[in-house]
Amino acid sequence: MDVESDVALDILITNVVCVFRTRCHLNLRKIALEGANVIYKRDVGKVLMKLRKPRITATIWSSGKVICTGATSEEEAKFGARRLARSLQKLGFQVIFTDFKVVNVLAVCNMPFEIRLPEFTKSNRPHASYEPELHPAVCYRIKPLRATLQIFSTGSITVTGPNVKAVASAVEQIYPFVFQSRKEIL
Amino acid sequence: MASTSRLDVLPRVTCPNHPDSILVEDYRAGDMICPECGLVVGDRVIDVGSEWRTFSNDKATKDPSRVGDTQNPLLSDGDLTTMIGKGTGAASFDEFGNSKYQNRRTMSSSDRAMMNAFKEITNMADRINLPRNIVDRTNNLFKQVYEQKSLKGRSNDAIASACLYIACRQEGVPRTFKEICAVSRISKKEIGRCFKLILKALETSVDLITTGDFMSRFCSNLGLPKQVQMAATHIARKAVELDLVPGRSPISVAAAAIYMASQASAEKRTQKEIGDIAGVADVTIRQSYRLIYPRAPDLFPVDFKFDTPVDKLPQL
Repeated sequence: MDVESDVALDILITNVVCVFRTRCHLNLRKIALEGANVIYKRDVGKVLMKLRKPRITATIWSSGKVICTGATSEEEAKFGARRLARSLQKLGFQVIFTDFKVVNVLAVCNMPFEIRLPEFTKSNRPHASYEPELHPAVCYRIKPLRATLQIFSTGSITVTGPNVKAVASAVEQIYPFVFQSRKEIL
Repeated sequence: MASTSRLDVLPRVTCPNHPDSILVEDYRAGDMICPECGLVVGDRVIDVGSEWRTFSNDKATKDPSRVGDTQNPLLSDGDLTTMIGKGTGAASFDEFGNSKYQNRRTMSSSDRAMMNAFKEITNMADRINLPRNIVDRTNNLFKQVYEQKSLKGRSNDAIASACLYIACRQEGVPRTFKEICAVSRISKKEIGRCFKLILKALETSVDLITTGDFMSRFCSNLGLPKQVQMAATHIARKAVELDLVPGRSPISVAAAAIYMASQASAEKRTQKEIGDIAGVADVTIRQSYRLIYPRAPDLFPVDFKFDTPVDKLPQL
C-alpha cells in the first residue's frame, strides 16, 4: 500500500475569482449606456461587464469595487482586471488600479481510481462530512489552508481555496487518504 | 418502614457511642437513627411526605398533593411563575361584560420562543409517531443550539426540524429528510443547511445512514411480509458490500432492493408505489435497479422462496 508520490496528477484550474478597487465612484448608468458588453442590474445596483479576450465576467459596483470571475489562472485574472480597468478609464472615469486580490480559486482533479466514500468518511471523521441525501460527494475541509475539497465516488475531486498554491497543497494532502479508500480494479 | 439515607455534612447531632457513623434518616417517623446501635438520635424531624393521602381506588383526577403543572426545569428556565387565571364568579367581570384582570401575565418571556419550538417539535413528532425519548433528545438539542445563539438568524422551525432529524439519527432510527419535510413547513434545502450548521455549532457528528435502517419502515408501509423484508435487507446490504451502486443514496438502493425482492415474491409492488413510500422518484429506482440487476442471483439470500424465478425478474 505504498503511496506513490511521483504520480503526476493534472490539476485543472477552472475558475479564479479576484477583486480590485478603482478608487473612484463609478456612474453605473453611464457605464450601462456607453460601455460595450454590459448588463445593468438596476434592482441590485450593479453592472456586469463581460470581456472576450480573457473570458471574464466582472461585477462592478458604484462604489468602485469590482469582482472578476471566470479566469483560468492568476495571471489571466490580473490581465483581465487590468483590461477592465482600462476600459473603464476609456469611458472617462479616473480609475486607479488598487487592491488587487485573488479571493477564490476553483480547481478540478481526477484520480485514476474510484473511491469508497463511506469508508473514507469513517476514517476521516472530523474533517470529512458525507450526506448522501443532500449531496453525492464527501465534503472535506482543511482548516489551516482554508480549502474545501469535494470528493466524488468516481474519483474526481473539486477543490476550492484562497489561492493556487493552497489548492495544490490541498490535493497533495488529500492524496494519501484517498488512496487508502480507493476501489481496487479487479 | 422505609428509610432513606442522606449523606449529610454531619449536623450537630451524632450518636454518642458511634460518632463516626452516618445517621440514617427515617422520615416517616421523623427520626434520625444510628445504624450501628439503633439509637434514635434526633427526633421531630419535619415530615416531607405528602400532605394528603391518595388511594388507588380514588378516581379523582386531581392529586391533592401536587401543585402546579409538571415542571420542565431542565429545558425551560425554571417554571416558577404565577399567572392570573380566568375568572369564575360574577365578581370578576366589570360593567360591560369584559373580565377584569384581562391579560394572563406573560410568562417567561425569555423562553417564549423556546416553548413555542417545543410545542412545534411535539406536533411534528406526533405526526410521524415518534417515541418520547426522541422528542426529549430533540428538545435538548434545540435548547443547546438556542443557548449558543450561533444560529440565531435562522427560522426556529427550521432549527427544530433539523434537531428532530439529528435526534432520530442519534437514536439509531434515522428518518429521511423527505420524511421530516412531510411533517414540517420548511423546505428540504433549509433543513439540510440548518442540519450542517447545527453539527458544526455543537461540534458533533452523526453516523452514516445504512440501507437497513429504513427497511422495516418502508416494508411495513407497503404491507410486505417478513420474508420479503429480510430478502430486501439482504439484497441491499450485499449490493453495498459489493459496491455495485457507488454514489447512490442508500435510500435509492433500499428502494431498488425492495422492488427486486417484492418482484421475486408473491407480493409484487410497482416502482411508483415504492417511490411514493420512500420519497424516491421512480426513475431513480429504475436507475439503481439497473445497477443491481446483473448480479441479482448473488444478492438474494440463500433460503429465499422465489415466486418468480430470478431470470424472470423484470428488466427495466
